[in-house]
Amino acid sequence: MRKPDRKLIFIIAEHLENKAKSVVFELAACADKIKKFCPAEIKVIILGKETENLSFEITHTTGLDTVAIEINELALYNAEIYKTVINNLAEEFSPSFIIIGHTPRGLDFASGLAVRMKAVCITGVEGVSEAGGKIWFRRQMFYGKINAHITADSEPVIVTVQPGTFEPYKPDNASPGRTETRRIECAPQFTRAKGIRRCKFQDSSISEAKVIVSAGNGIGAKENLDLIYRLADIFPGSTVGGSRILIDRGWLEYRQQIGLTGAQVAPELYIACGISGASQHLAGMRGSGFIVSINKDPGAAIFNESDVCVVEDLNKFIPVFIEEYGKKTDP
Amino acid sequence: MKILVCIKPVPDPESFIVIDDSQNWIIPSDLFKMNRFDESALEEALSIRDRYKSVGLDVLSVGPENSKDVIRRALGMGADAGIHIFCDAEGYISPFLTASCIASYIKESFYDLIFTGAMSEDYMQGQVGRLAAEMTGLPCVSFVVKQEISPDQKSIYVEREMDGGLIESFELTLPALLTIQGGINKPRYPSLSNVLRANRAEIRTINSDLIGKTDPKQINSRLTIPEKRRDGYVLSGSVQEKAAKLIRILSQKAFIT
Repeated sequence: MRKPDRKLIFIIAEHLENKAKSVVFELAACADKIKKFCPAEIKVIILGKETENLSFEITHTTGLDTVAIEINELALYNAEIYKTVINNLAEEFSPSFIIIGHTPRGLDFASGLAVRMKAVCITGVEGVSEAGGKIWFRRQMFYGKINAHITADSEPVIVTVQPGTFEPYKPDNASPGRTETRRIECAPQFTRAKGIRRCKFQDSSISEAKVIVSAGNGIGAKENLDLIYRLADIFPGSTVGGSRILIDRGWLEYRQQIGLTGAQVAPELYIACGISGASQHLAGMRGSGFIVSINKDPGAAIFNESDVCVVEDLNKFIPVFIEEYGKKTDP
Repeated sequence: MKILVCIKPVPDPESFIVIDDSQNWIIPSDLFKMNRFDESALEEALSIRDRYKSVGLDVLSVGPENSKDVIRRALGMGADAGIHIFCDAEGYISPFLTASCIASYIKESFYDLIFTGAMSEDYMQGQVGRLAAEMTGLPCVSFVVKQEISPDQKSIYVEREMDGGLIESFELTLPALLTIQGGINKPRYPSLSNVLRANRAEIRTINSDLIGKTDPKQINSRLTIPEKRRDGYVLSGSVQEKAAKLIRILSQKAFIT
């Protein structure tokens, strides 16, 4: 039994092909941070058709307790079942916080669950702090130009955590926690899951480049990509990447996409050209050795993550840079 | 068949964002455009209407007076009618409030399909569509990249994007709500004839005070400018001088020879 003076934190485990997704350990780190500010117990909730391997992996990596709910209909993810089952568990255990990945799947059920539970829902959280006896959650707004610090006046609070912002919680000598498995029946009413497939393929070449010159929305027109390639030509061992919007437009290929839904890279030098610096992109390149950003908007969030900031229109700056470099090497 | 698309204006991404004295909200920018994700949602609905001529397509926006501008743009792109739920909040309008306005409208006017953007570019919360779906008991799939209505128009097949290039697919019984991923189509430009019609069109305005609202949970927020996580050395001078300085820095670091 939980001690009366302790709060309870649920972590909802996201998984694929019987393996925990890496975000689960980042959610555990967020829960651990909350626990530093208010005494709490943590339970990792696993929903799936078969959960034995997942429970084992999660509890052995984190040392946290797990509650696994096995449901035949969950061979594939289904939002209706997730909302119903987690809501029932919440009624049984009364968690103060429910922590979910800020991923397409996590976001799929987090807000609906909040309506059902009459809970507060704070999405895209990147940090946790304490002030005035309250827990504050930090998230980005306005293209990353502003941080909002949010606290809730009531519990429960559902939080979705931005992947790539918490260091994964994997204590060295974790002794496995308690695991509990239940099997229940739960059928969806309106939603039938049809399948899951891979549609885009990544190769690792972009992750191996020493230098990445990366383009964002600020390049304006597709023709200007030529400038990006010419800039990249200057650097030995370089390649060209980009933010999601350019891949959406078909200007770059998916294997060149850097960010949450693309590649996570850490080259020695990263040159961000016309990239605003939203957290989805930062999650993919924050670990780079040296970051140079070129953006005409002095308020662009990317400048907070940069070693060198060039406040210029890249379409003016890059040709001059290439010309100046040419003068230097070919006097 | 009737489709509703929920849209909103967002400040231009390059506009200057200033926190007000209360530190609770920003000083409103006067440069607005339609949220990129909503444009994709609208284009997706318009493409359905291109196929099935009998489809009715309305757009709805919840917010202050400038919401009417994006409604007119949507009419210019080809939507049939616009509804504005006027909400005179100077500052932040919570996704709970927006969603409950949408939900009460949906409950009184039947739609087979409701589209929203997967998130807004400004708040980036990704909540309104899913909240409204739950409040009205509709099935919902988020981050939809492809949809196809069944021949009997009783269900819809959808594909949703996950991280790492994976696609999940579902079949939903109609009515349903989909939140649409940005960039999955090329939103059309308003046509001249539609723009002329849009300028004359009556936009139905409903005061948000007059429609049922669920009690939004109280949250408090404080805004700050993000801290610098790196040095952020800002190069000064003319374009040439900045280029020369950058070359010097990159040479010192041995990135170029």
